[in-house]
Amino acid sequence: MAQEKFLPIQNLQEWLGALSREHRVLVPVEEGGGVVFRPFEAGSRPVLSMDATTSPKSAVFPSSHDLFRFEQTKDPKDPERVSLTLAPDIPRTPTVVFGGRPCGARGVMIFDRVYLGGRFPDPYYQAARENTLFVTLACESPGNTCFCHWVGGGPDDPSGSDVLMTAVEGGYVLQSVSERGTALLDGDGPLLSSDETTTKEAAAARARARASLGPATDLGPAQESLLALFDDRKFWEEVSEKCINCGACTYLCPTCYCFTITDEACGLSGKRVRSWDTCMSFQFTLEASGHNPRPGKANRLKNRVGHKFSYYPARYGGLLACCGCGRCIRKCPASVDIREIVIGAIERAGDNVREASNG
Amino acid sequence: MPVLKGKELRIVGFLCNWCSYGGADTAGVGRFAQPTDLRIIRVPCSGRIDPLFVVKALLNGADGVLVSGCHPRDCHYAQGNFYARRRLEVLKRFLPVLGIDPARFEYTWVSASEGQRWQKVVTSFTGRIHTLGRAPRHADADLSLARAAAARSHPAADRPRLPGKAQNGAGIEALKERIKAELPGLDCVIGWQQGFDAIHHTPLFMRSPEDVDRLVWGPLNAHNPATYLAAMRERKVGLVVKGCDSRSVVELLQEKLVSRDRVTLFGMPCSGVADLSKVHRALRSSGADPDRVDAVAVEGETLTVTVNGTSHPMAMADVAAEKCLHCRFPNALEADCFVGDPLVPAAIAESPPADLAALDAMSLQERMAFWRSQMERCIRCHACRNACPLCVCKDHCVAQSRDPHWISQEDTVTEKLFFQVVHAVHLAGRCTECGECARACPMDIPLVALKSHMNRAILDLFEYRAGTDPQAVPPLLTFQVEEKRINEGD
Amino acid sequence: MAKPPFNPYLPEIATIFETVQETHNIKTFRVRLDDADKMAAFAFQPGQVGQLSVFGVGESTFVINSPPTRMDHLQFSVMRAGEVTTKLHGLFAGDKIGVRAPLGNWFPYEDMRGKNILFIGGGIGMAPLRTLLLFMLDNRGDYGDITLLYGARTPDDMAFKAELPGWLSNPAMSAVLTVDREAPGWEHRVGLIPNVLLELNPSPANTVAITCGPPIMIKFTLEALKKLAFSDEQILTTLEKRMKCGVGICGRCNIGSSYVCVDGPVYSYARLKALPNEL
Repeated sequence: MAQEKFLPIQNLQEWLGALSREHRVLVPVEEGGGVVFRPFEAGSRPVLSMDATTSPKSAVFPSSHDLFRFEQTKDPKDPERVSLTLAPDIPRTPTVVFGGRPCGARGVMIFDRVYLGGRFPDPYYQAARENTLFVTLACESPGNTCFCHWVGGGPDDPSGSDVLMTAVEGGYVLQSVSERGTALLDGDGPLLSSDETTTKEAAAARARARASLGPATDLGPAQESLLALFDDRKFWEEVSEKCINCGACTYLCPTCYCFTITDEACGLSGKRVRSWDTCMSFQFTLEASGHNPRPGKANRLKNRVGHKFSYYPARYGGLLACCGCGRCIRKCPASVDIREIVIGAIERAGDNVREASNG
Repeated sequence: MPVLKGKELRIVGFLCNWCSYGGADTAGVGRFAQPTDLRIIRVPCSGRIDPLFVVKALLNGADGVLVSGCHPRDCHYAQGNFYARRRLEVLKRFLPVLGIDPARFEYTWVSASEGQRWQKVVTSFTGRIHTLGRAPRHADADLSLARAAAARSHPAADRPRLPGKAQNGAGIEALKERIKAELPGLDCVIGWQQGFDAIHHTPLFMRSPEDVDRLVWGPLNAHNPATYLAAMRERKVGLVVKGCDSRSVVELLQEKLVSRDRVTLFGMPCSGVADLSKVHRALRSSGADPDRVDAVAVEGETLTVTVNGTSHPMAMADVAAEKCLHCRFPNALEADCFVGDPLVPAAIAESPPADLAALDAMSLQERMAFWRSQMERCIRCHACRNACPLCVCKDHCVAQSRDPHWISQEDTVTEKLFFQVVHAVHLAGRCTECGECARACPMDIPLVALKSHMNRAILDLFEYRAGTDPQAVPPLLTFQVEEKRINEGD
Repeated sequence: MAKPPFNPYLPEIATIFETVQETHNIKTFRVRLDDADKMAAFAFQPGQVGQLSVFGVGESTFVINSPPTRMDHLQFSVMRAGEVTTKLHGLFAGDKIGVRAPLGNWFPYEDMRGKNILFIGGGIGMAPLRTLLLFMLDNRGDYGDITLLYGARTPDDMAFKAELPGWLSNPAMSAVLTVDREAPGWEHRVGLIPNVLLELNPSPANTVAITCGPPIMIKFTLEALKKLAFSDEQILTTLEKRMKCGVGICGRCNIGSSYVCVDGPVYSYARLKALPNEL
């Protein structure tokens, strides 16, 4: 049963403190010139006025971790005999991610389809996911790089979250989105209260936020257009020309989920490490023979955009693997704008069709 | 590396096979007693020693590193130790910026017959390391030291100034005409155009007169077009360059990574670009969201940013990139076409750029804590590397290689800091401090400080600045038989 | 205590009990899982692959080269190409590796019942074909004529040399061997595989063609098969891609929306043509 509670602003620190008794609570704090998620401590000052620089995905998808450690032991009586043991490490740390935005949480939903919905669910992700709650803050107005409503999201999109927070006068209204969210809100006694007026205020705030968005560009044709442009080398070379082919976009992206697996050894023991990887890297698809299906940055950018707006939706019933958060645009050293590329692809594919029918 | 717990510290030695290893042998044969801490790695020549070997050892648990080779002018391979001498002296001066005590690294010269000297060297170095004790590790650094150091305010040193009065691109139309005239002979000309919002410009690849009409000039032209140059070396390209950008081109020319007849350079005098991190900080301190900029206007030396209808005027001097406040080259050093009156650089401030000055004011422990906190934020995106005009290996970077395997994929402070050191060391004597590494970093890590410090050492040792003379040979690609400014030691 | 969920990233430890140096750069490994119960329960379909681990070095993908009808051991044939395969080639009987298998899809052998089967293999491409060939010979009654055309650059580059005389003389199938150029002592055909195929002129009637080999050989073999009027649905192949997770999660092995590790590695030419051009 859904729950709605009001958290007065003066109770926020205490509430987070109470949560951290049983959970690792990740809150957005200022660090360097940006905002990152760090475990809540007594002196933490959560920054809620803007979206964090990094996405909250590391809570369920750490940037690197051990899949397992291995140990080889030689039998002193027979040195040719080596016994080998593997020790997987699946952490189950109860976690609350507090203060992300709906676009970030939507990313977790995108992950869920892949990591939990395949032939073999990913046990590491599953353990993290089952132990992580997302308490997400709804947005009030869009920034220059926000386009969540183009991709199926919105300023109060609950996808991926367990509790949705809306800022109102004097505090926040917390609405549970999932059963675990309900359980979380049920448990917090005097710090939270029920209040119908705040409930109404919150609904009005969310409606205002939705109304403040400009018109959504229709990305419906993107899935087919991108496929139609697959062999249009000129288009992809043009749009990728200023890209410097780093990986900032992929690592900051809430929906990018690719990883690599590498072994590290020291003598007879070692570990197998899973770490974030980027399809923008030359090595990503490089084969041992030396052949690379994506030898240039044009091919790789095509794959990145294609995956988000065409290949993933093809596998998951039209769901776009982009949450419209705009991090990739804001943080790209060359300001590559994925919106421009997708819109350009739709237009270009349309032109090609028109040319073909005229020619 | 196993050591006798409680008795030995971890000291790694890199010895050249001919002189020093022979000298160590001589010491052994002569039964000269020495402390046992040192573990020796034999290399053919001290010139084989990549300074990164030393750093990898120090970052991964070595308490001290000793390098020994043949005496200069006596190298078994004639010149190897001349290169070693330069590299290792530069390294010794670089280490402190990381928070590593340079006393933990020593390089010396011991010949095959100098058994007694070897005994003295080992005994004295081991003694020094024991006095210094176990080496602190970045991963264990006390973060509160970093916070304390950051909170310290710095005295306003001789106030750096921007070069000359802002011309703000008065000659832009004339420049466009010149570019249009040259376009037919070029694959493209790279410049800047309006970006996705008023506060962002973005690189522009001009191929038609319509493209050229989109060219803009002004303080938002932060990107260095030379970043794209090395990958396009087979084509004839044009670049519109600020003074700092042209230095990258000159460095590429020095290293023969591009050829002059394939590059056409267009320049205008530059009075500085804005550092968007500083603009963001200024906006946030006034409660304005940097992602909601409606308009930007530049008038004289004021940058006015309008957010949600509210204007926020800022002095260019307060939001200019650090490099601009210390700019020596406001005009392109090489240009086929220069439009406008060259600017005279402002009186050069002797003080280092702010991020380096902050590091200078820190103790070694504070610097370690500083880099720990910075690297914890690093996401290993390699934007720093890919934005660098001189990092030409991009797709084949040694940092991602499995053979040799320098860096693992683990997201740890050690691995990430080591990558930064690889970058800085590979840029030693080459970096022109264009600052793209720091600008590109999505996590606002002041990466250029490492290179600035490296450049200080290069300037002091070799009286050399990268990217100023197309005929000059970068100092680490050459040597002098007698080095004026390197103390060869006893 | 509840059973922990299956961990698809955790390899089974296996011991190599026999190796065969097939050519200068192809080595066959016969392994058994150390856990006897798991070995006894191991089940797979012909065409499925496994990720072999050299602990401390990494993993690489290889087809399970032995058929499910012969479960005494699992066989993998490895061409030396990079870091992992080079280390693998340094392993011998008694050494331990990791096996993550079976992964991927398999040859749709049920749909091939009653049909004539034409195998066309080049070099190491014979590995996946061997699995299906032996499986079909073990279920001989289910299939029509079985023909094998196997080629390599030189006689030395032929894999499974010990088995070739058996295939040539086996009355249950017909086999044609070819090498690119004349070689001393070579008694069989000479010519590039696509050309020999055209000479053999097999009828497409009620036939399925399965081809595997280096990309250039596949390209021209496909052209030859089309010339012989094989339809797109009648042609099967297996693809190779750099793989890591092998279970469709890490995002790496895709061609468009198709992940080679779950939607492949077996593809019909019809399916392949529908994919974007990114082999």
